[in-house]
Amino acid sequence: MPQSQRDVRNRIGAVKNIQKITRAMEMVAAARLRRAEQRIEALRPYADAIRRMTRQAAEAAGNVPRLPILQEHDQMERVGLLLVAGDRGLAGAFNSNIVRAGVAAGRQHDAEGRTPVYFASGRRPATSLTFRGLEPAENFTGFTDRPAYADARRIAERLMAAYIDDEIDKLEIFYNGYISPVTQEVRRETLLPLQQATVLEESDKDEEEARDDRGSGHRPEVEYEPDPEDILRRLVPDYVEISVFRALLESTASEHGARMTAMRNASDNAGELIQTLTLEMNRARQAEITQEILEVVAGAEGLSG
Amino acid sequence: MAHEKFRVEVLTPEGEVFNDEVEMVSTKTAVGSIGVLAHHQPILAMLDPTELRLYDSESQCVRFAQAEGYMQVADNRALLLVEEAHAPGDLDASSLRERLQQAERELESAGDDTEKRRVAERDKARLETFLSIAEA
Repeated sequence: MPQSQRDVRNRIGAVKNIQKITRAMEMVAAARLRRAEQRIEALRPYADAIRRMTRQAAEAAGNVPRLPILQEHDQMERVGLLLVAGDRGLAGAFNSNIVRAGVAAGRQHDAEGRTPVYFASGRRPATSLTFRGLEPAENFTGFTDRPAYADARRIAERLMAAYIDDEIDKLEIFYNGYISPVTQEVRRETLLPLQQATVLEESDKDEEEARDDRGSGHRPEVEYEPDPEDILRRLVPDYVEISVFRALLESTASEHGARMTAMRNASDNAGELIQTLTLEMNRARQAEITQEILEVVAGAEGLSG
Repeated sequence: MAHEKFRVEVLTPEGEVFNDEVEMVSTKTAVGSIGVLAHHQPILAMLDPTELRLYDSESQCVRFAQAEGYMQVADNRALLLVEEAHAPGDLDASSLRERLQQAERELESAGDDTEKRRVAERDKARLETFLSIAEA
């Protein structure tokens, strides 16, 4: 049965209201995205350089560093998984991609005899994990719109303490790498132990070159001031902090990009829906008019007959 | 006498603050003051807060108030990674003094051998250095 004109008009009104909201959210996300994009782009070269430097210093320090943060644990029993996503939803697959990747990795560790220990940054991954019965060891929330360095430090300190105290034997981190407003990729990186840490492609190449040079004996001995072990004592915590900070910033830029895209799609869909409904309303109005004319004609005929 | 120039990059978490050819870099490592010229031996050093000077020529130099960081010299290039770097003109002495007082208060309240104490000590050292640069 065709809907009455009034019903359709009400629906159009509702859809228009929703469209206003999604438009507003799209614009807010776009404004925040610009700032978040600048921050992550400024941080990337620094973060890459710190990571390269840490590896180099760790190699130079050799196998005898007495720093517990540098020690590879004999047994690989518990793996810490930090899931970095957002506090809020309405951002397409942004949050669920991270949860899915993290939980899949956790299952795999489980199947291979290692216990996954979850940590969540952002309210969404925290509640998703709890909902699945995978209670995180700790949740960090309330800053994902605009993370400060202090937030990264807090998370990094907790994770490093977990590693030093044998609560975890390995630390993996999952976040949305920001590529463009419409493209984000789920990244999985190993931060600790340093010996197994994920090396980014670019630095991988540099390192191979460095190794070649060393092999051919052209490279002069590197001087350390103070010695590598003292440098590492400060460098490793900095490296973990910066890596976490980078993940937070990548994630924030990705979140705003994902939300902007999701809201734009929602606004476009609302526009299409309004068009369809307007057609339907016109048809309903025409049907009502036709009906009324028929009634008038029928009535007139009845009188004249 | 003019020295040969070499490439120096200064990066902070907020972005690149300097990327150019200079004759000499003057900064301070955990061991002491250091001046780096072209073709310096490869070095990896931990930096303390100080006034970073990048000499364009004998008499001309670009100055920064530099926080803790690291310096790597390799292949005749210097890379400085510092937590903060400000042009001396951007420093505000009165706000630095305020933050210094707060750091000192936190240092008093912090227990021995705690992370809080270490953070406060680092803050204090950095702010003192910045303040002396701002007032110079």
